[in-house]
Amino acid sequence: MISRRALELATAVLTGSFGAAVVVSSLDNGIGWSSAGVDAGTFPFLTGIIIVLGSLYNLVRGVLPAATLANVPIAITPIELRRLAGLFVPAAIFVAAIPLAGMYIASALYVFAVLAMPRHQSVPRALAMAAATTLALYVVFERMFQVSLPHGALAAAFGF
Amino acid sequence: MDNLGELLHGFTIAVTVPHLALMVVGVLLGILVGVLPGLGAPNGVSLLLPLTFGMQPVSAIILLSSMYWGALFGGSVTSILFNIPGEPSSVATTFDGYPMARDGRPTTALATAFGSAAFGALIGVILITFLASWVAQVALAFGPPEYFAVYFLAFASFVGMGGAAPIKTVVALAIGFAIAAIGIDTVSGSVRLTMGIDELVKGVNFVVAVMGLFGIGELLVAVEEEFHARAVSSKIDWREVFRAVGRLPRHSVALLRSAAIGCWMGITPGGPTAASFMSYGIARRFSRRGRYFGTGEVEGIISPETADHAAGTSALLPMLSLGIPGSATAAVMMGGLMIWGLNPGPMLFVDQKDFVWGLIASMYVGNIVAVALVLLTVPVFAALMRIPFVVIAPLIVIICVVGAYSVSNSYLDVVMMLGFGIVGYLFKKLFYPLAPLVLAIVIGDKAEDAFRQSMLMSKGSLGIFFANKLVTCLIVAGIALLLLPLALQLARPWRKPISPTAETTAQEKVII
Repeated sequence: MISRRALELATAVLTGSFGAAVVVSSLDNGIGWSSAGVDAGTFPFLTGIIIVLGSLYNLVRGVLPAATLANVPIAITPIELRRLAGLFVPAAIFVAAIPLAGMYIASALYVFAVLAMPRHQSVPRALAMAAATTLALYVVFERMFQVSLPHGALAAAFGF
Repeated sequence: MDNLGELLHGFTIAVTVPHLALMVVGVLLGILVGVLPGLGAPNGVSLLLPLTFGMQPVSAIILLSSMYWGALFGGSVTSILFNIPGEPSSVATTFDGYPMARDGRPTTALATAFGSAAFGALIGVILITFLASWVAQVALAFGPPEYFAVYFLAFASFVGMGGAAPIKTVVALAIGFAIAAIGIDTVSGSVRLTMGIDELVKGVNFVVAVMGLFGIGELLVAVEEEFHARAVSSKIDWREVFRAVGRLPRHSVALLRSAAIGCWMGITPGGPTAASFMSYGIARRFSRRGRYFGTGEVEGIISPETADHAAGTSALLPMLSLGIPGSATAAVMMGGLMIWGLNPGPMLFVDQKDFVWGLIASMYVGNIVAVALVLLTVPVFAALMRIPFVVIAPLIVIICVVGAYSVSNSYLDVVMMLGFGIVGYLFKKLFYPLAPLVLAIVIGDKAEDAFRQSMLMSKGSLGIFFANKLVTCLIVAGIALLLLPLALQLARPWRKPISPTAETTAQEKVII
């Protein structure tokens, strides 16, 4: 179970650290005024400062138990968390597998795994859908629009 | 009356067989992404974008804008039949649309929604026809300070009128600006904000951000709540369609008021979502039958639908004539314009007459095509909703992954897209608005250039933003909008506390 407060906190920390990174990184480009006009780092520097300040405000607002309408205590219940993970974890594994297996094999495995493993669909149907997905990708991208999707290190090793 | 002549010329471009075919394809694809949860107009349009690079700009924009109209209509279909808004902007349609459909009048609800939507879109297009070239003419005299002032006003109006928490909007905007700054600086040529990752020199493409924020993010939000797609009958009774449309003029006050709200929210970048909620809220307050709202009132469908489409359409006005998109989808389209080598803004009306008027004419025709197609295909798309979510979700993930990859054949983009997905989920969950973030990514560089050019002109003095009446007015209006939420908060103790209603909570849920 994740409370609304924890979620607000995490998001504010996330945006805040991005802002801090922007501020630090823009200092390399120089901030302020030079002979060429406004230095390249100035604008990002200012936006970084705004992000940091805004995140601090959101952090404080999120942690303080303000009586706002939106302040429901629980943001994500355990069941919801399981559903989220059920969607996101396979998707992340799929993305991680692309460099090795290539887009086609990875997406076929992904569709098959998501459909067949939790027994949503029978194995033959899941297989058919996985094959159809890969075929559709190939026809639409490689053939119709001449966009080459990554074939992966495995395919390269076999000489494709 | 120059405009009418130009418009007629535009019709000769828009009403050709290939362009009509593109409209049909665009609208059908649009309805599809509108119906599917997790895919919306912004990522639908960005998915199609790479496929338009080989086209004439006018054909490409006709395809993309038709997709936009289709998506706006498609969102309403699921709102009414399933109580599941396919698009954030059609959430307000569920309040009265679904109860009416559930009570056995789905055709009436759909026909009323489409009829008023078409009216809203028509008002939006008429506004563009007569106002866009005039605005562009005024804007031709703009220098960098004026441009920066207009950008400032646009961003300030998100903060002041967007409806989300003001500081969260500011943070979303600033993050967008920072992301836009990643890569090579167009003025000095130096590399910025790559944080040690060499591949980031090319910058972060807005399509990657849109795929993650709207695609994966929305999918994660959708998977949380288990869908119960209990559809009411989706059979269309054609005689009832005409009867329902025939009854619309009786509600002309609601129609006109909602169209006005929609146009206003579309031109100032409040966006269709805020427009439909505002219109619904105002209708409930002023309608004689206001207390029946929520039980299937006709005006409860008319108001959000008209405003939604009026806003969606008129969001293209500032995009065309000023180069400032009025909604997230318009921002994506504008990104497309820049990729096709066009420079959105007043010069379009001088250099690219065929493009501009072809697009405007296609909006008239495209909306008619959209109404006809959406009525014809309601049963087909309603059947789509019966496909279990577990089957659709991985397909949408694959579409987003391939879409992000095909932007510049980069694996890093795919990883970033997934990262944007998490950000999109967190932002949606915590009511950070997403539209300003996308807008800032698309036009951040232009706003920065305008600022730096102004500073060059004035040798570093901010006084240039108060140098003449026009620019002073724009800046002052922007500052006023920025301070509006603060002023409202200060004024609140003197007003009656507003009772929390179902509508405001729902509104908080979907503000993007």
